[in-house]
Amino acid sequence: MKHETYNMKQKTIQKIILEFEPEMENLLPALKKISAVFGYVGEKEANALADYFGVPESKVFETASFYDEIKTEKQPEILIQVCSSANCAVNDSFSIIKEIENSFKIKVQEISCLGRCADGPIMVVNGKIYEKVTKSSVHGILEEYL
Amino acid sequence: MKKIKIITEHWGKIDPLKIEDYLEVGGYKALEEFILGMDRAGALGEIKKSGLCGRGGAGFPTGEKFEIVASQIGKKYFICNLDESEPGTYKDRMICDKNPHLLLEGIIISALIVGADKAYIYINGNYQKQKEILEVALLQAKKKKFWGNKILESDYSLKIEIYSGAGAYICGEETALINSIEGNRGEPKLRPPYPTGCGLFGRPTAINNAETISNIPWIILNGGEKYSKIGSKNSPGTKLFLLNGAVEKPGIYEAPTGITVRKLIDEYAGGIKKGKEFWFAQIGGACGKLLLEKELKAKMEFGKACQCPLGSGSILVIDKSVNIYDLLISWTDFFRRESCGKCVPCREGTFRLWEIAKRFKDGKISERDKEAIQDILWTLERTTFCPLGKFAGTAFRDAITKNILTF
Ligand SMILES: Cc1cc2nc3c(=O)[nH]c(=O)nc-3n(C[C@H](O)[C@H](O)[C@H](O)COP(=O)(O)O)c2cc1C
Ligand code: SF4
Ligand code: FES
Repeated sequence: MKHETYNMKQKTIQKIILEFEPEMENLLPALKKISAVFGYVGEKEANALADYFGVPESKVFETASFYDEIKTEKQPEILIQVCSSANCAVNDSFSIIKEIENSFKIKVQEISCLGRCADGPIMVVNGKIYEKVTKSSVHGILEEYL
Repeated sequence: MKKIKIITEHWGKIDPLKIEDYLEVGGYKALEEFILGMDRAGALGEIKKSGLCGRGGAGFPTGEKFEIVASQIGKKYFICNLDESEPGTYKDRMICDKNPHLLLEGIIISALIVGADKAYIYINGNYQKQKEILEVALLQAKKKKFWGNKILESDYSLKIEIYSGAGAYICGEETALINSIEGNRGEPKLRPPYPTGCGLFGRPTAINNAETISNIPWIILNGGEKYSKIGSKNSPGTKLFLLNGAVEKPGIYEAPTGITVRKLIDEYAGGIKKGKEFWFAQIGGACGKLLLEKELKAKMEFGKACQCPLGSGSILVIDKSVNIYDLLISWTDFFRRESCGKCVPCREGTFRLWEIAKRFKDGKISERDKEAIQDILWTLERTTFCPLGKFAGTAFRDAITKNILTF
């Protein structure tokens, strides 16, 4: 059984990789896709990519580890991010962060401006974006996830 | 007097998903004019005459950049920089949201002028919706033969591809952007060689900001001379300004360059928000300077002689109720996160500044910290590899010298 899921995964990896031509300009898009599908780029995925693009595995991780959107390790089940760039900061994002950390005992990851400043403060939960959040509205939103 | 609009002229009046709407208001007429009535040299001449300069922050003359690339032979690339990630800035996103075909028309003409046969649109990875809008626009424009093989039955051909970033502020810097398309870490490269000579895959490459490019169709249709008479002499044209914070009507406004900050706040953004007291304004995002009330007469323009670099065009109005320590942390944490780590002064300097900012907030600032701030700022300004580090301490420095932050 275990062997079977392993094979399935290998197949999915291959299928994704084959969507791209083996040229260096496709390495980043391929990494993004793998990271999105599997949650992160692990050893096996990196190995397959290295083979396909004809580069060492270290090169794959070198590139992958640079970008926020590409994860190289397993992510927490619930990832809460709040924008703390200036426009959101003057709109109270720091007290929102404090509120979440105090009420839910979860560490919030601070992120940079998403270009949605006019609708800030901005919170992102597992990739889903919430605009104009307040100290009280975050409770309703987060309860859905916890 | 009617306010002159080049980029926002049709915003809200046309459906961004319908090329017919854009065609109805004269869209792609500039491309037709270029193909049927002009040659590359003639078009280049108009761009040079217009005095248009880059809207991505540095203000480099666009005509000059085009000329350098156009004068070389062989494979060449054109890149539209839509990585926009300067805090408080969303003008390029709005261009996609409101009139994507204007940008596309500009990209096509620009690429043909410099002689590129492939153009990339490098878009911020968070701009998913905008990417979809551009994909629709590209499809529609290709059907009408505005790009692809034999554009409008001429000998010009052009491929266009959207390339999506992966969440790194530094990738807006042109050499880092190139590194990122090439499958590398998005770290800046040493310049020279400049991308105009040795850019993407080692080939001559013109990289321009999306707003810069959106001016091109107007210039082709109305002539460079007419454009050069708009706004400030040194950096003519209009500019998109983003006014946010303590103003009555926050939002995006198109105004001639050379306009003062005060005028933008009072006449465009409806003045300071009722019940709030003006403290200072930050111009151009996280790396931008701070202006006090008496400095609001500063003119918004590009160039060495300007009073205050306008950067990305964002203006954040801070009122007296804002906690300055929160802002310090916001600025320093931003640069700590976004420093690419290639050079030590920036990697370490931004980290230490952030630590000091946290101690400020906790009221635990020491004599040693106070001295260290000066050393760190000095080092950032003078020794970092790329402009990110150089400007990482600008706001911090201004906060101290302008007595916004006292200790
Ligand atoms: C740290 C850093 C970030 C930058 N980010 C952007 C950006 O997001 N968008 C942009 O158009 N230019 C950005 N630039 C400027 C580009 O390097 C380049 O000058 C610009 O794209 C050239 O186009 P322009 O001449 O039309 O302004 C950035 C520069 C630096 C140093
Ligand atoms: S100044 Fe900062 S962003 Fe620029 S190369 Fe050095 S570490 Fe990277
Ligand atoms: S500052 Fe938070 S989205 Fe721009």
